[in-house]
Amino acid sequence: MSSSRPLLSVEGLSAAWDRTPVLRSISLDLNEREFLVLLGPNGSGKTTLLRCLAGLERTSAGRIRLDGADVTDLPAYRRGFGLMSQEPALFPHRTVYENIAYAPLLKRRPRSEVEEDVGHLIELVHLGGLEDRYPQTISGGERQRVALARALAARPKVVLLDEPFAAIDVEVKAGLHAEFREVLRLAGTAAIHVTHDREEGLFLGDRVGLLFDGALEAIDRPLDLYQHPRSVRAATFLGYNILEGPSGPVALGPGDLTFGPPGTTGLPATVVSAGTTGRETLLVLRTDDGRRVEVRLPLGGQWPPGTRGVLGWDPATVRPLPREPAPTGATSPKSSGRLENP
Amino acid sequence: MRLRGDGLAVLPALAFVGLFALLPVALLFVVALANIGGAPGLVSVLSNPLNRAAIQNSLVQGGLSAVVAVAIGYPVGLFFGRYDWPGRAALRSFLLVPFLLPSLVVVFGILDVFGPSGLLTSANPAFGWLGSGLPAIVAANLVFNTPIVVLFTATGAEVASADLEETVAVLGGSPARAYLDSWGPPTWVGAAVGGLITFLFSGLSFAPPLLLCGPRCYTIEVQVWSLYQQLFQPNAAAVLALVMVLLFLGPTALYLLLLGRLRALPGGRARRIPLREGGAAGLALAALSVAVLAAEFGLLGSVLYRSLAPTTGGAVGGAWTALFSSTTTERLGISAVGLIENSLLFAAAASAIAILLGVTLGYAVVRRPGRARSVGLLLFLPLLISPVLLAFSLAELWRPLFGGAPNVWLLMVVSQATLAVPFALQSLEIPLAGLSPAAREAAESLGARPFGAFLDADLPRVRSGLASAGLFAFALGLGEFTATYFLWIPRFTTLPVALVLLSQDRLVAAENAAVALLLLLSLAVFAALQFGGRRVEL
Repeated sequence: MSSSRPLLSVEGLSAAWDRTPVLRSISLDLNEREFLVLLGPNGSGKTTLLRCLAGLERTSAGRIRLDGADVTDLPAYRRGFGLMSQEPALFPHRTVYENIAYAPLLKRRPRSEVEEDVGHLIELVHLGGLEDRYPQTISGGERQRVALARALAARPKVVLLDEPFAAIDVEVKAGLHAEFREVLRLAGTAAIHVTHDREEGLFLGDRVGLLFDGALEAIDRPLDLYQHPRSVRAATFLGYNILEGPSGPVALGPGDLTFGPPGTTGLPATVVSAGTTGRETLLVLRTDDGRRVEVRLPLGGQWPPGTRGVLGWDPATVRPLPREPAPTGATSPKSSGRLENP
Repeated sequence: MRLRGDGLAVLPALAFVGLFALLPVALLFVVALANIGGAPGLVSVLSNPLNRAAIQNSLVQGGLSAVVAVAIGYPVGLFFGRYDWPGRAALRSFLLVPFLLPSLVVVFGILDVFGPSGLLTSANPAFGWLGSGLPAIVAANLVFNTPIVVLFTATGAEVASADLEETVAVLGGSPARAYLDSWGPPTWVGAAVGGLITFLFSGLSFAPPLLLCGPRCYTIEVQVWSLYQQLFQPNAAAVLALVMVLLFLGPTALYLLLLGRLRALPGGRARRIPLREGGAAGLALAALSVAVLAAEFGLLGSVLYRSLAPTTGGAVGGAWTALFSSTTTERLGISAVGLIENSLLFAAAASAIAILLGVTLGYAVVRRPGRARSVGLLLFLPLLISPVLLAFSLAELWRPLFGGAPNVWLLMVVSQATLAVPFALQSLEIPLAGLSPAAREAAESLGARPFGAFLDADLPRVRSGLASAGLFAFALGLGEFTATYFLWIPRFTTLPVALVLLSQDRLVAAENAAVALLLLLSLAVFAALQFGGRRVEL
């Protein structure tokens, strides 16, 4: 394969359910060994996109090229993707070892080679000692490790990860993220991981894409994507506060805002609730024009609900956003409470 | 040891099954073995050529019916379980109709179509081979049991994990490999469950061998009846019945084991292929399914047609006039209206018993879910007892205690309820298992007593299941022929028994109307069952 050609190339991929579009002309590339994360809210089409790539859903338009070959019309079993989802879907009547060895044996690879490969994968995903156990007798995290090893044992060109940790306990989940990422790196396998958890996505991805309503809005390196939201919707999803600036909406991160006493320059607001995340104080405020704003402050201070104050910010942290086309019949934004530089 | 209130709730069912099924049968066997004359007596029963032929007939008829039912029902089950097509859900529910049909309706339907003057035989005598003997018996068994195989196979396909199937595909497994490793095995379990129950029902069948063939085709069930009622050899009949229980114990246990396994499959997202994407395989399965359904419902249609067709020398609808005529009343000793009243009354009483047992057992299970398994086993115990054996043992133990013939209707009701309960209360099993305790716990925290909380919070949520159980028991009681025919006295004649009496006297017109009436009543109950089923809100 030439180094300039992407491993996976998706061009104008669309899909519909009963004439309702669920994917709208998605185009993206994935390079060898790359870990691409697609972030989006529930119902944005993340799972459908992965299922279309794997050949489990029909597409209505577009092409999928994997390692230079057009696989759009191939059935799932001839495509060469690996897929892992929230449900590990292990064979209940096969042991851990037999689950992992399933695909290589299916492809009639020599048994000695399979034993070596599976042994290596078992070591890689830390399942030593569990080879002879059945899926019902191991934990949820271990089942997901088996599913990953089984997917890798098939030597897929790309592994598709569909929120594989959504049903895992929070404490286990944190460790598994990094572990899976490392396993894939060591295996040298490219992956597309979809999730609605922005922190998880930004942490894991070499590049991160944002998917809304079946369309890919942006795709970039995590920090660039976070620092340069391209729309109100993207900024909102990434956790920004949206305020109305002089020339349109702007995004301000919760950590970029201050909350000072009344009389200072800024935007008047009232404390709705206050609490601590353990590392910082989180204030939920309501501006006088009714907007909800989150502010993260260093620990300390008393903020009883109803406390009045003024929101402040560093002008350098203000991220202007394009004004979104108003729906037909909508009125123009209110002029009161507009953001002026403090 | 003191039983708690919820423990007491098991007692009615325990008492019912114990007193009216297990105890009479056990006593029957003990007394028969004591009186048969030791080993020589046993050998004499077992070496009797008629008894040996009956054992062979049971195995042949059961085995042949099971094999053919699975051969036909499995692909049709795949069509129902794997493919999506308009009207699938409605037609799937209709598959329950043959199971609820009185056995006599099917037997007379076979005669209407393939008998000497049957609709098809009249058109082409070659069809006559299906009108009597082993082919006719197998055909009747297939009408009942093929839809059961279809339903269980479809259930297997529906509970197969779509995730697992997709995983096999993504890992490189072909569609054939996906069938072998993911969605095929649950359908095999379903087909095996259907095949086993076909074997049990067919091997123990009563009406088809009795009416479609005669002594050379008698199953053990008919032979036990014949030994008791015609040859007056109760001890020999009881010993043969014991052989029957032992012979069918293994298949019954296997059936229950596989049924449990099928139900234990997790289910979830089912993969269903739109028929238009099903290709040639889908179309072939569709064609086979249409043929099977046409045969099933064509048979029922012929029963209705026969009742409306002009009678010999009579007018259209003459059959119905004949049924309600004084000639028929004189022959039967009871009017047609009386027949209907008896049938409905006994079925309603059987249904009430099933509901009562359902409520008390429901309470026992809800209070302590760990009991579900033992309660399930308790309810399935009557499955080991065939209708003739049940009626035989009830007649021997309880008829004298109940005051003889005047109160024999009580035994008829008890036998109908006992035979219906294992199937009827299945409608409650899954809803009960799926009940969340939250509402009941909320009611109790608000001051309701345990049974009150069950009535207020749990029962309303399984009421459709309870209604289905009652209707199921009603339908099975309405069509029950074997045990009723064993216990019956003229005053308590039911429609199925009257049907056989009319047939014996060759009152063909009245017989045609009686079969159609029985069919219509069963269809009405089925319609009510569907209506009840649609109200399920769990």
